[in-house]
Amino acid sequence: MRLMRTSEITKRPVVTMAGEDVAQVKDVVYAADGGSVVAFTLAGRGVFAGPLKQGLSWGSVAALGADAVMIRDETVLEPVKAMLSASGGKGSSGDVLGSQVLSDAGIDLGVVRDVIVSVDMPGRSGAGSSCDVVGYEIEASEALGTQGELVLIPLPDTIAASGEHLMVPASAKEFVGRDLAGFGAAIEAFRAQLEGTA
Amino acid sequence: MLFSKANRHKVVSSSTAATVAKVSGFVVDPVSRSVVAVRLKKAEKGEFLRWADLVAFGADAVTVTDDSVIGDGGPDVSALAGKAHRVLGKRVLTSGGDELGKVDDVDFDPETGTITSLVLGKGATAEVAGDRLIGIGSYAVVVRETP
Repeated sequence: MRLMRTSEITKRPVVTMAGEDVAQVKDVVYAADGGSVVAFTLAGRGVFAGPLKQGLSWGSVAALGADAVMIRDETVLEPVKAMLSASGGKGSSGDVLGSQVLSDAGIDLGVVRDVIVSVDMPGRSGAGSSCDVVGYEIEASEALGTQGELVLIPLPDTIAASGEHLMVPASAKEFVGRDLAGFGAAIEAFRAQLEGTA
Repeated sequence: MLFSKANRHKVVSSSTAATVAKVSGFVVDPVSRSVVAVRLKKAEKGEFLRWADLVAFGADAVTVTDDSVIGDGGPDVSALAGKAHRVLGKRVLTSGGDELGKVDDVDFDPETGTITSLVLGKGATAEVAGDRLIGIGSYAVVVRETP
């Protein structure tokens, strides 16, 4: 399992196992419930290259590493339109970025600046892999006592989102992290606590 | 033997004992993980010597029966000889998408041409076993991720 900011995934090259960079990630496409990454839209490589008509669905990703998105070969790319209707994806991260995070106690925790995903690649082939949204990087509000700073806030498995607000349990506040290194443990502790109280 | 050591080796004809060319590079096939041809300079008949056509890759010289084996290497060698398939200086990515460094040198078995390891980084900071090689493309050399 590995945590990443989705802003770091965009612009990452898409590289075949033969070592060719066939595209780069343009945007991240989330599942309709916002809980996972289902696909990437792509742009060509190079300064003047525009968006591509081909996209990359999560199921075709062989690996998502720190420096590249690996795919078997170019044939796994598919037309963006068909891909989006099949995945039920709802579009880009623009939907969440800038949204206000409210605790269920009605307190403004801050504004979303980045989405944190957990990448799990159990098999070599990419089978059974997942890319779940596990947290947000938010610009903290007064309520967190570190106003204006970027902090990481863990998310429960499912979350209510309206495009205007994102609703998180009030206890999420206690599991706020500062860097990705220790954030994995915070997410687990937070989710364990939620299950315990449910 | 390292590419850096083997480079500029003389290619000597065993029938005339004359130097017919000099080694200037290597053509590597990522599928067989081996050197399939030697790139030459100062040769009259062509730019390539297929690995199968050389007699020995010795510590001091490469020997061939005569210079008739030097040529264009054929289609399979030409396909791998382009700049896009060059190994030296290229970034190394694992199949997991992580960069390990850049290829500084390559170690190969002079008996068989098999790539034994990739030497990464200036001053050989790391080595990747040759059998991990998966692909050599214009963007990167791809190697199998270690479990």
